[in-house]
Order: sequence, then structure tokens, then C-alpha cells
Amino acid sequence: MKKLIALLLALVMVFALAACGQQAAPAQTGEIVINFPSIWVGTDSKAEYMGKLIEAFNAENAGAIKVVVEEQTDYQAYRDKIRTTITTGSAPDVCILDTTFDIKAYAESGKFMDLTPYLDAGWGKNFTDGAFDAWSVDGKVSILPFESAVFTPIYNKTLFEKAGWDHFPATYDEFFQFCEDCKANGINAMGQMAGDNAWSSMLWYSLIVEAIGGKDVYANGLKDPAFVEAAKVLKQMYDYTFDGAVSATAGDVNGHFIGRDTAIYLNGPWWIANFYKEDNAVDGKLLADECEVAVNPSYGDGKGNGGLVTTVQGFLAAAKQDDPAKEAAVVKFLQYVTDPTHVSELALSSGAMFFVKYTPSPDTNVISQKVTEVANSAEFTILHVNGAFPTAFSTEFPAAVSALVLGEVDEQGFVDMLQTAIDNAA
Amino acid sequence: MKPTRSDRSALAAFMAPALIIMLVFFVIPVIYVVVVSFLKWNGISTASFTDIQNFAKLFNDKAFVRSVINNVIWALVAGFIQVPLAMVMAIILSRKPRGWKFFRTVYFFPQVISGIALATLWRAIYSADTGLLNGLLRSVGLGSVARDWLGTVDTAFPAVLIYWVFYVGYYMVIMMADITTIDTSYYEAATIDGASDFQQAIYITIPLIKRTSLLTCITLASVLGLRQFEQVYMLTNGGPANTTSTMVLYMYKKLQDTNYGMASASAVVLIIVGVIFIVCIRALFNIGNDEVRAQKKVRRAVK
Repeated sequence: MKKLIALLLALVMVFALAACGQQAAPAQTGEIVINFPSIWVGTDSKAEYMGKLIEAFNAENAGAIKVVVEEQTDYQAYRDKIRTTITTGSAPDVCILDTTFDIKAYAESGKFMDLTPYLDAGWGKNFTDGAFDAWSVDGKVSILPFESAVFTPIYNKTLFEKAGWDHFPATYDEFFQFCEDCKANGINAMGQMAGDNAWSSMLWYSLIVEAIGGKDVYANGLKDPAFVEAAKVLKQMYDYTFDGAVSATAGDVNGHFIGRDTAIYLNGPWWIANFYKEDNAVDGKLLADECEVAVNPSYGDGKGNGGLVTTVQGFLAAAKQDDPAKEAAVVKFLQYVTDPTHVSELALSSGAMFFVKYTPSPDTNVISQKVTEVANSAEFTILHVNGAFPTAFSTEFPAAVSALVLGEVDEQGFVDMLQTAIDNAA
Repeated sequence: MKPTRSDRSALAAFMAPALIIMLVFFVIPVIYVVVVSFLKWNGISTASFTDIQNFAKLFNDKAFVRSVINNVIWALVAGFIQVPLAMVMAIILSRKPRGWKFFRTVYFFPQVISGIALATLWRAIYSADTGLLNGLLRSVGLGSVARDWLGTVDTAFPAVLIYWVFYVGYYMVIMMADITTIDTSYYEAATIDGASDFQQAIYITIPLIKRTSLLTCITLASVLGLRQFEQVYMLTNGGPANTTSTMVLYMYKKLQDTNYGMASASAVVLIIVGVIFIVCIRALFNIGNDEVRAQKKVRRAVK
């Protein structure tokens, strides 16, 4: 009897463990379930419209296809999860990637669905010209660039006036004169951060690199002298930001700009919606009413005049499917999400930009319109540095920036730190 | 009495689940990590053997060396400052002074709060421009001392480490539980002999908990010190300039880079450092030597 009980206990434990790995059964017999872990949930600017879009897709395909969203509001946790699932061979049916993933390697891995036949059949016409050029492997597209972003400074006109300026600096020399005037008037010229992922400093560094090195600055990796020169300028900028920028995070940078003590803000277009939020208004005046869109200043004899820093903010990828019916369902869902009508609505609700050809809504806010004008008038574009280099670059960037600003390394040492990180990962 | 065949079967059946779990979730992953530490692998392409290159890169990387040093400091502070503090509190509260239950609860309370929440709270306290600490310093005329505590090379690591040292509740309750098992007759006899509370603590309490809860707490604290992650990740993400990095954070960053070879190599180093720590702690408490001596004694007696 004892033996029997012991054996039963052991079996119960083994089966309990085995049950942990079971997946939820489809909601209805014959219904194809598409698993979609998403960061476009919670407070994300695309959350509201994406929620409605998926609901509408499920309603239109009731009984046949069901998209099940796994909500993940923490961006880094989302990246970690997706990276792990792909590595372990259990990539989700649909997922969102960004430039922190090694997109080329993922595209080459064969773990994702080849979307080329569907794009060639007409779907590809929905996307902007050349959208797939940088991300296709051997002419095949398996990872779709979807959300784009451009990075151009936005400034607070009220603070500019307070500093005695009526225009945005056209050159970096002028920029630092402006910084001095800000300092004299107790204003932080711009927000910098070396904490977390050093996002703001990474964007500023990208702008300076673009201004100095121009469109071919990435051609020789970090060997271009523009990277060392740009490090010098970035370090100088830390003299004109708020206290504690070395340990600051994006929340600090945003908070200082919303608090009207930082004159220039640099972030992606997804943040524009916040300019129109009542919560960020002061004395009934919206932040948007005080702001103007500018372009990246030029740098001495730099090669970057008229250039623009961009990135692919979000890629859509689908795991390779053995079942043709499921593959068709996944493609149907991707086509639904990237439909120009839906993307137009998504752009309006979120302020984000996309690699899909769509007619902007006439209700698009003024700042978004101006950012789009800046994007359309750019003579050339380059990716931001995080997007242009392997993931190891972006992982090391915060440490390198803080080391540079605190004098632990010089400008060349800063670039060397980044190069070593890339080499170690290669 | 020799176990029967039936007993052996029952023992095997009862032990099997634990052994299977241990094998599946510990032994196999550790072997796997050791194997991957010798590979160049990004998780998606084919892995290739790189002999000890990953380890060579690790020890040439200042950030990793700094991480190892930080972890060793952390483990030492945990084992030899945090636990002794907890022991002092446990001894004091075990004497049941007035309000001891209140203080026991107060000291234990941080243990039930998430480490992430505590780190967020302390991040706000250390904030350079709006932080409570700098505000306090400025209000008492020490504005010159105010600084970016988490953004300065000299202060970042102490700032991350110091607040946590005082969260002694977990070890305190373990030792309090042990102290309550000590026979009160020892204290009664000592009191009759005129021993003070301090002498009783030194000559009765500490020797009697030394080999049990004190050793357990030092081992636990040191191992947790070596595994530090969330606190550093939340407060500084290893910055500034990698001065607060730890081995687990370093490993995490290598995983983000999909550099599984170096991530696994750093995990192997972490395991080795952990083993060295445990061996040292056991040596410090004479654990192995005592057991050997006891076994020899038994053998001599049997002969």
C-alpha cells in the first residue's frame, strides 16, 4: 500500500510538471488561434487603436481565426521574452521586433515566415518605396519594417524667448551660444540621460554624428572620425543639462521638459501625443502651444546638411508555420494591421509614423504635421546609432557615455569602449 | 537495522521526484551552461567551439572584472556586516525588551516589500535634483555635500549597497527562532554566576547559534550577495561607467546582446566564485574539519 501511495505521489508530481507546459486549447473547434505577444498595450500610444483593430479582426473572422494578445507593458521584459522564445525555437505566431534585435541574423535564421510571395502578389504596394531594402536577405522579406520614426528637435518657444532667442540655432556653434544664454537664465538647454539605456543621449549623439559625418558615416563602422568628434560635442552638452543627468532616465528627461525647465526635447514622434495632454498643460496652456519643430543644426564643415536621423521603431515578424491554413491566417492578420486605412487611423491616434503609404488624416495635430514636413524635406536619412550597429553597441552605450562625461575615458576611449563591445559580441 | 528491499523501493520512489527535478532543473542546465561557455553562439545560428576565448574576453573586460570585485564586496558585506547586525538585533529582541514585537515587525517589514519597489523608492531618495537626501542635506546647510549619488563614480556603488545592509529582518527572525530553542537554564545559571547580558550573549548565545542559524544566515547572505541583480538593475543598470555592475547584471547584458557564449562563461565564473565562498565559510566555521575529527573519533572508538 505504502509503495502504491509513493508511486502515485511521484506520478502526480510528474504529471503536474508536465501540465505546466500545456498550451491553452483553441476557443472553438477548427478556429485558428494566433498568439500575439504585444507591447502595444497599456499606456503605449498605439494601445487604444490596436486593441480596437484586433477586436474588429476577431469579430470579422469569428469562428475561423482568433488573435490572442499576450499583454506585456514592460518594453525590456518584452524584448527578453521574445529573444528567449526565438532562441528556444518557440517563436510566437506574430511578434514585434525593434532594432535592439539583430534583425539581419533573425531574417537569415529561417525561423520566420517568408512573406515575399504575399508581398509580390500586391501587398507590397502598400509599403513605402525601399522599405524592405535594408532588411531583406537574398531578396526575401521575412521581417516587415512597420513603424518608423524620425528624430528632430522640438523646442519650447517660451523658454527660448526667456533666453533671448527667437529662432532655433542653425549651427552647432550657435547651439552652444544658445546653451550659454540658457545657463545664464537658469534654463536647461536640453535633456540628457546616461541612466537606463541613455536614450536621449543616444539620440543627440546620432544627430551630431549625422551632422558631422553625413549619409555615409556608417560605411566604415566606428572608424569614421565623426564618432570621436561627436563624442566631444556630446560631452560638452552635459554642461547644459539638468543636475543628475548621468544617472537620469527617460522619465527625468520627459519630466524636465513637461516641467518647462528644459528648452529642447528630442524623442520619437510617438511622444507627440503627450504635447496635447491636458495633464501636461500649465495654466491651461498646452505644451504643444509653446512648442515648435526644428531641424538638426549643421556642424562646421560637416557633411550632414539636410540629413535626418530615423529608425525602424517596430518590425512585424511571424514565426514559420507548418500548417498552410495557419500561415494564411497569420498573413491575413498582418495584411489587416498594415492596411493603409487602418494605419492612417493608427497614426492619427498614436502620433506614430509608419512604412505604409497612407493618407494622413486631416485631423493630424500640428506638431505631427510639422515633423512629417521635416521628414519629407530631408535630403537623406541615416539610422540612429543604436539601429546602425549590433545590439552590443546599445547595451554598452550608457556605460560609455557616463564614462565619457565623468572623465573616466576620453573621446577616443568612448569610441573604443563601444568598438570593444561590438568585437566581443562578434 | 538493514533496510529491506521494500524499504529501498519506497525510498527510491519518494526520492525520485526530487532527484528528477534536481536533475532536470539544476544538473542538466549547469552542464549545458558549461558547454555553451566554450561556444560562440548567438542563439539562432550554428554554434562553434572557441576553446577558452570567452573566458579570455571576460577577464580582459574591465566591466566584468569590476563586476566580480563588486560581487565579492557585496557578499563580504552581506556575510560579515549585514548578518552580524541582524544577530545583534536578534539577541536584543530575544531578551524581549519592551515593544520587542513592534520592532521585530518593523525590522521584518521591508522583507515583504518587493525589491523593485524598494529600489524605486531609493532611486527617488538619491535623485540629484529632487531627491530627499540632497533636500535634507541642503536644508541643514550641507548643500555642498549634495551630489548625484547614483551618477558619481565614487558614490554610486556605496549608495546601492548601503541602504540594503540595514534590511536585516530576514536573518534576524531566523536567528531569533534559533535563540528561542536555547535552554533557559544556561542563562539562569549565568545570571546566578553574575554574568551580564553582554557576557551571556558572548559566551552562551553566540556559541550556541554559531554552527546553526548564524552559519546558515552567513551562507545565505553571501550567496544572495553574489547573485545581486534587481537592486542594481533598477537603481543604476550597472552605471555609471560600469562601476556598480554585478556578475548577474553583466550576464544579463550579454544575453541581451545574444552573446550566449560569454553569458554562459560569466555564469560559470559565478558558480566557481560561489563555490569558493561556501568552502571559505565552511572553513571559517571549521565545519569540514570537525566532521572529519568526529568521524575519526568514532572509528577509533569502534576499534
